[in-house]
Formats: sequence, structure tokens, C-alpha cells
Amino acid sequence: MYYRSEVPTAKPPAPVWTAVAKPLAQMTIALVTGTGVHLRGDQRFDLSCDSSFRIIPAETDCAELTVSHGGYDNTDALADINSMFPLDRLRELAAEGLIAGIAPRHIGFMGGGGDLKKLANETGPAIAELLRQDGVDAAVFTAG
Amino acid sequence: MIVQRAVEGSGIPTIIISALPTISVRCGAPRGVAPIVPIGANAGAPHDAHMQREILRAALLQLVAIQQPGQNVPLPFSYV
Repeated sequence: MYYRSEVPTAKPPAPVWTAVAKPLAQMTIALVTGTGVHLRGDQRFDLSCDSSFRIIPAETDCAELTVSHGGYDNTDALADINSMFPLDRLRELAAEGLIAGIAPRHIGFMGGGGDLKKLANETGPAIAELLRQDGVDAAVFTAG
Repeated sequence: MIVQRAVEGSGIPTIIISALPTISVRCGAPRGVAPIVPIGANAGAPHDAHMQREILRAALLQLVAIQQPGQNVPLPFSYV
């Protein structure tokens, strides 16, 4: 295992792309955040390096969410988790009809560096498979 | 961006709300939007539901509007 940070490399990687398959109003949307968000009772992330992820159920009360991430000032996230993981806002947009609905499971992981091979080869595909099983049409990420 | 690319590659379209758009683009994010926000509040100012909702709305609208990989759209929302 070795540590790297996600700083720009000399050459951007080859493009990866999946075209959208339906109108926004028919989509089920998941939130995926690399900002270390998780349920309070759930295991915290290892701030030195962690390629695991946590599940955040759709019905979660945002007061039950917290963060463990050493790469940024957590003050705003702890004051209002929606500033990093806008689950309440996603619910409101679904209620408005902008999207058809929200995914049953949303995801928090610890991005920004660490074991990049594991993130690419294990964490990413595992999250993708979970979203696929749940019939998610598209995902909005934070931590960019 | 690494996890975003894995999800995109699996067949699920994605968009990232990026505090640091030059990095997201350089790291190959398929789609992105960039409000003017710190790395600690990507989705908008804490306790500002209006800003958060409009940033998320813009991200969803750009999810279906962006036609080519690698684009990142600046947003007129600012929390500094």
C-alpha cells in the first residue's frame, strides 16, 4: 500500500462516459460523497487511509449523520451535513417533481487520496454494483 | 473522481459538484458543476437551504445537458 494524493498528473486519463438514458423527471438519483459522511453509529473512517464506504439509507434523518475526514475543515459539514451531502435538498427536488425519486441507498466514502488502486479497483466497482442493484439512473457526487 | 469514473464506467451517468473544478477536470470527471465554494462546503453554505437546493438543481440539469465528457459548468452561487 502506498499513499498518493489526487493532484493533477501530467496527462488527464482517457474519457469515461455513459450517456443519460431518460429524462431527468423519470430518474432515480443517488448521492455519493467522498467527504467522509456516515451515520453517527457507524464505524468512523481511518483518517490515515481508508478505502471502505458507508451506506446512508434514503429515510435517514440528517441529524443522524456525521463526518470523519482529515482532508478539510469539518466545521460546516458538522453544522449542516447538507452543505456536503444535500440529502434533504434531494428529497425536496424529488417532491417538486424535478426527479422521479431518490435512491434507497446513498453512499459516503473517504476520497481525496489514499490507496488509489483500491479506490479504482474495489471501492468504485462495489459502489457501482450497489447502485445498479437499486435501479439508480444517475449519481451526483460531492468532493471534487 | 476515481470513484466517480468507476461508477460512470459501470453504466451509470454521474456528475460531480466540484469546489476545485480544475482538479476534477484534470482527474477525468465525466461531468461537473462548480459553484464558488470552499472544499468544506461543496454543496453550498450551511443552513442556506435555498443555495444548496439551487446548486443541486443545477447539477441535475447539467447531468442531462452536458453532451461530452470532461465538461465542468461554473455556477453563479458563491459561499466564501
